[in-house]
Amino acid sequence: MTAPSTLLRNGVVIDETFAEAFPMKATRILITAHNMAWARHAAVSATGFATSVIACGCEAGIEREIAPEESPDGRPGVSVLMFSMSGKELAKQLERRVGQCVLTCPTTAVFAGLPRSAPGSDVAALGKNLRFFGDGWQISKVIDGLRYWRVPVMDGEFVAQEDTPVVKAVGGGNLLLLARDTDAALAAAEAAVAAMKRQPNVVMPFPGGVVRSGSKVGSRYANLNASTNDAFCPSLVGLVAHSELAGGACAQEIGCVMEIVIDGLTEADVGAAMRVGMEAAIAIGPAGGLLRISAGNYGGKLGPFHFHLHKLLGAAGGAP
Amino acid sequence: MSGWHFRLRQAPSLRVDLRGITPAAFAELSLAQVEQLRVGHGNAMLPLAELFDVAKGTEEGTLRFEGDLGRFDRIGWQMDGGHIRVEGDAGHYAGGCMRGGELQIDGSAGLLAACEMAGGTIDVKGDVGDFAASTLPGSMDGMRGGTLVIHGNAGERFGDRMRRGSALVHGDAGAFLGSRMVAGTIAVGGKAGAHAGYGMRRGSIVFAGPGAAPPAGIETALTFVPNRTATPVFWALLSRDLARHGGPFAALPSRRIERHLGDLSADGKGELIMCL
Repeated sequence: MTAPSTLLRNGVVIDETFAEAFPMKATRILITAHNMAWARHAAVSATGFATSVIACGCEAGIEREIAPEESPDGRPGVSVLMFSMSGKELAKQLERRVGQCVLTCPTTAVFAGLPRSAPGSDVAALGKNLRFFGDGWQISKVIDGLRYWRVPVMDGEFVAQEDTPVVKAVGGGNLLLLARDTDAALAAAEAAVAAMKRQPNVVMPFPGGVVRSGSKVGSRYANLNASTNDAFCPSLVGLVAHSELAGGACAQEIGCVMEIVIDGLTEADVGAAMRVGMEAAIAIGPAGGLLRISAGNYGGKLGPFHFHLHKLLGAAGGAP
Repeated sequence: MSGWHFRLRQAPSLRVDLRGITPAAFAELSLAQVEQLRVGHGNAMLPLAELFDVAKGTEEGTLRFEGDLGRFDRIGWQMDGGHIRVEGDAGHYAGGCMRGGELQIDGSAGLLAACEMAGGTIDVKGDVGDFAASTLPGSMDGMRGGTLVIHGNAGERFGDRMRRGSALVHGDAGAFLGSRMVAGTIAVGGKAGAHAGYGMRRGSIVFAGPGAAPPAGIETALTFVPNRTATPVFWALLSRDLARHGGPFAALPSRRIERHLGDLSADGKGELIMCL
């Protein structure tokens, strides 16, 4: 899968490979509440079980917290990014998640977080269908050209913007952090995720931003369309026909691999997040147990977005 | 599209109907053609040049009228873009059925201003007569979009059957404010006459005057019920939007509100909002 490593940064080998990402549809919603704690409760619930489109329907995460001064209603809030493979599936997931996790959460309101779309471009319903929960008591209100729905609920009213723009996005950017042991792999992954979370327009949808079950396409079992990435499983070195951990520098020292998956609104956003993630991990270096950084790809067959690690780090490739 | 300047020669003896005189209609016309455009004067038709000194204007897409146009009706009628400025009073139906663009009246307007307006912005520095932002006689829907701002006072039945859009009155409003209102937003900076919200089905009427008291009769009206429920999100969105217009509305985001819901004899989903 990868060519021999040729780039060394702070003692960490950077594989000459690329992360392969694919097109998705995305939206951003802003969840506000009486205080940040309740906004966070709603956002955590709405983004729960949204790690991978393989089985969750969408990938979602909390992008950042929003101060009252920058939120639509002057209350604290949380920005959430949600990604799916189609606009239709995204709309379905959005309605379910906002309906079950935001509408139900005390004091919340929900707004579109992307700029108003051009006429004819995609939108997904936000309050448009949830309004029917009001059982006829719901009220529409157009303010400054935007339609909101006011749905009576037991703590007052739930306000939701009518719809939210849907844009083309990029899913599946990734980094593989190859470390000496679990402690080292977690430390590197946590540092990388912390740095990437400071980047706008991206989320890392897996728990804590980290996934230990990196996957390959397909399986020996007919009913599975993805299975464990055996080439990067330290426990399978010497057993599988091809292991990425079997040869090359420091191969024998690698005992634990963690992956970070990145979804972003644009290719540039994903690339920028991968770069700062790598830099944070590289700073830990071999002294902290991080030995090598690689990325997952399927020979270029999965998607059109290829994030070459050497290019992201500003190296032409070839020079250590 | 160039601009045009119309200076009134003298007040006409009969009322003049200015329908059709919009920026879009002037887009490709020469000075001679503009001067020969005919408008209704009583039962007759007159060329514009008999009423105005016509000249090319300096502002692109703007029709500028200079003089007292109190006898000129239907200024900006069905206008859908561009800018009309009246440097004086306007007659009846100003901005009627307007769909877009901007109408600015430096003086006052007559009856039925902004009736059935559907889009754009109308700004009246003076007063408007009765039935502003309402329906044409016999029609079902009043104002149905856009923004109407009155810096002076409004007459009676302001916003009758209003369905959508925002209508603001910096001064006082007459009786039957927002009567039979279907939806939309009305905000009044001064006092309102009796029977505000009579027969309203939905929509919001905001009383923004200092220490605004409920309009006469509301406290004892059987068809409006007081409501204490907190609606901070809705009020934050609406008050910030209204505050853009300054004057009595500027401080709305920081003020507490009380609501009365009704009219229960209609649909009961309207609200009268008193800003404390």
